Amino acid sequence: MAELHKLVATLKTALEAGAPNPAAHDAAKHAAVPLAPDGDRAELVARFARELEAVGGRFLGTFTPAEAIDRIVALARETNPRLVAIGDGVAADAGALATALDAAGIDVMRTAPTTDSDARAAIRDRFSRAEIGIAEADYAIASTGTLAVLSMPSRPSSLTLLAPASVIFVQIDRIVPDLAAALEAFGPDTLAAHRMTLITGPSRTADIEKRIVLGVHGPKSLDVLVVWPHDD
Amino acid sequence: MTTAPKPRDFFEASAAGAADHELHRKLENASARHLDHFAQVRDEFTPYEDERNTARAIKEDAIGRLDELLIELTKKLEAHGCKVFFAANAGEARDYIVKLAQTSGARRVVKGKSMTTEEIALNPALEAAGMEVVETDLGEYIVQLRHEPPSHIITPAIHLSKEDIGNLFHEKFGIPYTPEPAELTAEARIRLRESFLRADFGITGVNFAIAETGTLIVVENEGNGRMSSTLPEVFVAVMGIEKVIAKLADLPHFLEILGRTATGQKLTTYTNFIRGPRAPGELDGPREMHVVILDNGRSAMLADPVLREALMCIRCGACLNVCPVYRHIGGHAYRSPYPGPIGSIISPNLVGSAAAQLPFASTLCGACKDICPVKIDIPRILLHLRWKETSSPAPLEWPGAARRARAGARRFARMARHPRTMRILGRIAATMLKPLARDGWIRRMPPPFGNWTKIRDFPRPRPRRRRAVESQDAKG
Repeated sequence: MAELHKLVATLKTALEAGAPNPAAHDAAKHAAVPLAPDGDRAELVARFARELEAVGGRFLGTFTPAEAIDRIVALARETNPRLVAIGDGVAADAGALATALDAAGIDVMRTAPTTDSDARAAIRDRFSRAEIGIAEADYAIASTGTLAVLSMPSRPSSLTLLAPASVIFVQIDRIVPDLAAALEAFGPDTLAAHRMTLITGPSRTADIEKRIVLGVHGPKSLDVLVVWPHDD
Repeated sequence: MTTAPKPRDFFEASAAGAADHELHRKLENASARHLDHFAQVRDEFTPYEDERNTARAIKEDAIGRLDELLIELTKKLEAHGCKVFFAANAGEARDYIVKLAQTSGARRVVKGKSMTTEEIALNPALEAAGMEVVETDLGEYIVQLRHEPPSHIITPAIHLSKEDIGNLFHEKFGIPYTPEPAELTAEARIRLRESFLRADFGITGVNFAIAETGTLIVVENEGNGRMSSTLPEVFVAVMGIEKVIAKLADLPHFLEILGRTATGQKLTTYTNFIRGPRAPGELDGPREMHVVILDNGRSAMLADPVLREALMCIRCGACLNVCPVYRHIGGHAYRSPYPGPIGSIISPNLVGSAAAQLPFASTLCGACKDICPVKIDIPRILLHLRWKETSSPAPLEWPGAARRARAGARRFARMARHPRTMRILGRIAATMLKPLARDGWIRRMPPPFGNWTKIRDFPRPRPRRRRAVESQDAKG
């Protein structure tokens, strides 16, 4: 901590020496500005879908839990992947989805926590060969078409990063109007305790002549399903 | 690939850029595309103007109490299991990171895009210690393959055309030549994925650090920052002291404004909230996480009431895209990881005397100030730095051409104080120059004025009567 004290001393001196004339700007007028009234669910879903597609994602629609499983299985079958990775859900039961994929003859790996370093390396190695990664997002942000995903032992960050195809689903009551609302929903404690990633579309670059190309390091495709809470 | 001899100073480097018409074409293309993207999202959430005022107020508040915010941030990060190191200068930061890589037995380093690590010249130090260092941002990867520095804060390879990059990949990797961005990107993906999976040491920069929650925010589009901070066993985040903001609730303002101005996006593809090493049982995330908090001239900027404002910069690169000087000479001419208008005001403090000439390289047109998302008054700071430089006891050594130009300006100033002489000389000059004009412009002048028309045109002298009227007006 010696360096910290040294730096803080330097900063205090610098702050005093360089204090600008007061007034100029009125600090701390920063109430979050919601961009749309927290309206109708349908409107939030529609806005989310539009924004997601604008950034190159694909909105598959809203489904009951059973329909969602069927749709994901059908989606996986289209590409006939060698391996699909699934992490634990937030609200949904990932087990049912894994079983359904397995029954469809698709090789599934479920990410499980481990503290053993050899086991960890083996899991990671297999993980990196998955062709589809499936995860449930904690929240979706309508104004930007963004998915907010916390990392957990059973829901690692790599799940939405390594596989070339990413499938993410989210509960309909977890779609919030904007980023500020999502951060508020998590709360500072959650965000202090976990790694979180905001995902807005497939991985992308514009580094060559500012031309947009999708799928640089992360997923090349992002398919999103919204799930109704009940099967009725 | 031919490499030109290294320019000795800003003057040589900028002359090279100014003469490169191909470079102008590339920069104009990229800038136009950028401004077009920006225009589409400019007023997306809230009017840009309102958002700028808010962002500026938050940043101003944070800069004004950096001391307490850094203490809070450090405590939180340490509570999450991070090791925090304060580096007073570039050397300390480099030494710490190199030693850390050595003691953790690292061999292969992957880096997310980070201008701060360019500032401290980290790569050569790691390489000298025997590490393999791979830049994984596509633009950074391209310029690393060419053994050259980035030329733009956001788009490191902005000075290269897709054909240049096609040729580079063809030469380096032996793949068939293609200028297609999608194919070139796919090739880089395969190669860099291998680097990511093999790496044992990851490094990224930091866009914002939230004191309240002890969270580092790394903003990116490709996934290079995610990979570099998730896959290797040891992860180091390098940040300047000015990156800290007070509260989580402050963050949305900056994310929305940074995406808009940097790349014309409502939000960048990946926003990583990183708080510390992995928890027991977790499959990814680093085993060990270090945060290097760098001063390196920033506290000196803080101590200067005018210059302090420059610490609010969020490195969006928008001022580069609108700057007529940057667009004319290119980023490499600045010979600093921070080129363009913002680079001209921060580089003298962050990279030192090599950049002392930069504040003079501006037309003071103010386009940078107009677009800056936190409204930094760059022209004012440029003038301040010029004043500081010219009034310093040991002013800069200027090269011959600049000295001659200054002497010429002084002679002109003396002359302009004598209206009659001025009028007579003006008449003579006008008579002599008139036959040289084509379509209202003079494209070539005889020596010693030829240097002027080498890179810019001179307007045709206007008819005498108009000049006479103007001088009457001036007399009031």
